[in-house]
Amino acid sequence: MMIESQSVAAPSIADKMKIEDLDIYYGSFRAMKKANLDVPDRHVMALIGPSGCGKSTFLRALNRMHDLTPGARVEGKVTLDGVDIYAPTIDPVTVRHRIGMVFQRPNPFPKSIFENVVYGPKIHGETNGARLQAIAEKSLRAAALWDEVKDRLNRSALDLSGGQQQRLCIARVLAVEPEVILMDEPASALDPIATSKIEDLIGELKKDYTVIIVTHSMQQAARISDFTSFFLLGELIEVGTTSDIFTKPRDKRTEDYITGRYG
Amino acid sequence: MVGVRAGKAHRDERIALVVLMSCSGIFVVAIALILGFLAFNGTELFWGDRYSLFSFLFSSDWDALNGHFGAAAFIAGSLVATGLAILIGGPLGVAIGVFFSELAPKRVASAFKPAIELLVGIPSVVYGWLGLTLLVPAIATTFHLPDGDSLLAAGIVLSIMILPTVISLSEDALRVVPVSLREGSAALGATRWETITRVLLPSASSGLAVAVILGVARAIGETLAVQLVLGNAAIFPTSLLQPAAALTSEIVMDMGDAPDGSGFKHALFSMALLLLLIAMGLILLIRFALRRRT
Amino acid sequence: MARALAATPAPTVEKLGGSSNARSRRIVDRIATALLWTAASLVVFLLLLFIGFEFVKGASTISWHFLTGSPTAAEAGGGVGPLIFNSFYILILTLIFTVPIAVCSGMYLQEYAAGGRFKDVVQFSAESLATVPSIVMGLFGLLVFVTAFHWHFTALGGALTLTLLNLPAMMRVTQEALAGVPGTYREASMGLGATKWQTVLKVILPSAIGPLTTGVVLVSGRIFGETAALIYTAGASVSYGRGAYDFNPFHTAETLAVGLYQVHREALVPDVDRIANGSALVLLVMVLVFNVVARVVGRQLTVRFTGKA
Repeated sequence: MMIESQSVAAPSIADKMKIEDLDIYYGSFRAMKKANLDVPDRHVMALIGPSGCGKSTFLRALNRMHDLTPGARVEGKVTLDGVDIYAPTIDPVTVRHRIGMVFQRPNPFPKSIFENVVYGPKIHGETNGARLQAIAEKSLRAAALWDEVKDRLNRSALDLSGGQQQRLCIARVLAVEPEVILMDEPASALDPIATSKIEDLIGELKKDYTVIIVTHSMQQAARISDFTSFFLLGELIEVGTTSDIFTKPRDKRTEDYITGRYG
Repeated sequence: MVGVRAGKAHRDERIALVVLMSCSGIFVVAIALILGFLAFNGTELFWGDRYSLFSFLFSSDWDALNGHFGAAAFIAGSLVATGLAILIGGPLGVAIGVFFSELAPKRVASAFKPAIELLVGIPSVVYGWLGLTLLVPAIATTFHLPDGDSLLAAGIVLSIMILPTVISLSEDALRVVPVSLREGSAALGATRWETITRVLLPSASSGLAVAVILGVARAIGETLAVQLVLGNAAIFPTSLLQPAAALTSEIVMDMGDAPDGSGFKHALFSMALLLLLIAMGLILLIRFALRRRT
Repeated sequence: MARALAATPAPTVEKLGGSSNARSRRIVDRIATALLWTAASLVVFLLLLFIGFEFVKGASTISWHFLTGSPTAAEAGGGVGPLIFNSFYILILTLIFTVPIAVCSGMYLQEYAAGGRFKDVVQFSAESLATVPSIVMGLFGLLVFVTAFHWHFTALGGALTLTLLNLPAMMRVTQEALAGVPGTYREASMGLGATKWQTVLKVILPSAIGPLTTGVVLVSGRIFGETAALIYTAGASVSYGRGAYDFNPFHTAETLAVGLYQVHREALVPDVDRIANGSALVLLVMVLVFNVVARVVGRQLTVRFTGKA
């Protein structure tokens, strides 16, 4: 763990991902400066910081989403179980199979609920109808959506409420059986009830998955995460257990943010 | 002072409104007149000359000078040439639309697009002439025919002519699909091609359908290019490699020769009316389809 | 940054990097990308092929005599001078009718009509008018101008027919040009107490002059090349005998495009191919010219009237 002094992480936690000296450029603008972070396996790591601090930019580098942006450049190393995902021999398509992402606004495809969930498995070669049904049910249950949609799997996903759509997107990611789930402010577009359902869900997910979640709400970070990283103006300022960050921050800038000196 | 100037301004405003509305009204009057004149002259064959509508549409016995006006050969020719044009130009146009929307870097797109705009501007008679001097001999040698005038030639020329329409409409339809869907698909581990075929094309399907239908409308109304490469043989087409005839080509060829008031002339107007109804019908189809989707 | 990988990388990522499913999907993606690039290049290739082919075939025909001389009735060596003149003549005549009507209608629909019944009817009429095939429009012109008005073949009849044919396109050009003007201009002008007409005339129209001109020139290019609608309205014969450069709108006026069709169809002169290739080349060059002028003039006007490039 990157924490130098203070509280000690349980020694049995392995790091699922390690980020080393990560630089991210948009053209000539340096959006992220030499970030270093270790992400423990099967825990929730929250990324917090004011708007524009680069936390979403950082997150997107973890599943090579910047590959899709012309003009974006990523330097440094991001390893998953020890293997650098940016190595030239690695196909980004397979990276995204192991590291899934849930976006800020729900983005279900204009297809049925069922087709949305099995989109990933179908692409990865699964054709057996019975197995697809099983995957769909398992993923929807894991996303706490099964009971609400089990009778209308063939209806359009766009008919669902915002909160349901977001849980569908989570189910869609789970169907691919990733090991890491990246979440970019997944509840910011949802009402408080839907938000708390998503937060409960994250609490369940961390038993089987490593979750990295960007959030603009410190309260949310405090509620659901085990570890927290604070970003400011393109730099990773401080990392620690969530309780340490919120009660005993080491950096003054972290403390200022926590105490609300800036938004 | 202000009152006087304001008064003049308001009078100008009212005059302007009258002028503008009159100009707009010209569109309404024009289409009404066109429909009226064409309907009147186009049905003369059936009301006045008492020729059978059924024979006109379904018989290929065309012997104009002797009173036989079975236009099935021309109808079939138009449909086959148009069908071939869509078969070639439809997928090709959509593919290139995909290229511009998803693949092309900005510099490449700005280099290729003027080429498409130039293709749009080329007059149909030039397309016909190019087809006649370039394509028809090529077909003749490739297939060992005495003469390359054929439905194949017409289909190919038409497909090139509708390409720009299909390309730009397809591109527009794809651009409307939100970026979030592309990201969502990529984040699930899809390749770009998989995202295109499994998410983008289905999402844009109504816009793509419009692109294709407009291509069909353009192709079926095309006259000069078709006339120059089709050979104008008024027989029911049995092969893509033989000369044939289309509604448009027949009209332009014989309208000057048909005597006024003759059944021949009336039959040609009936063909024109048919063309008008098909073209308008297609566009109306698009309008209703689009309205239902939204 | 290539760092040495661990000697034995963890099984998860490596195995999937090499899994057969991922590799074949990657190959499909690469092939599809290559095919799409090829398809797009086809378009450019076709254009170059057409222009190049016609240049090769027609360049030898082009001469001062060809461009200005009169066509012959049956001998070789005719020119297309009067035909080119007629093309421009009919173009100008058409624009005289089309531009004011289309711009006024476009202004009405875009700036005035609030979405009432009349606007819908006009919009629908314009869309329907746009679907009329050019040959059918030509027949309408035949019925009205040639027959009903007893004008016989005339340049004016052709121009009026072409007006009907191009009104929808020209109106769409106007609407798009006006739509491109920022709403803030309208607000500012009305806020200063100007009437709508004053706003449209003094603020919006000048701002839109660039795209409007571009559109008008591009439509002009299409008018220049129109054939089917003219054959039976403006006629297919040039006044051989009289001064072939004829300003009388009530005379027959065969344009260059119609002439290309006619010379092939009649096949009276022995050098049909020579004349046709020359005509086709001139038409292609004109398309290029119209396209380039449209863009250049449009951009210049935008800069002059709005001060921004």
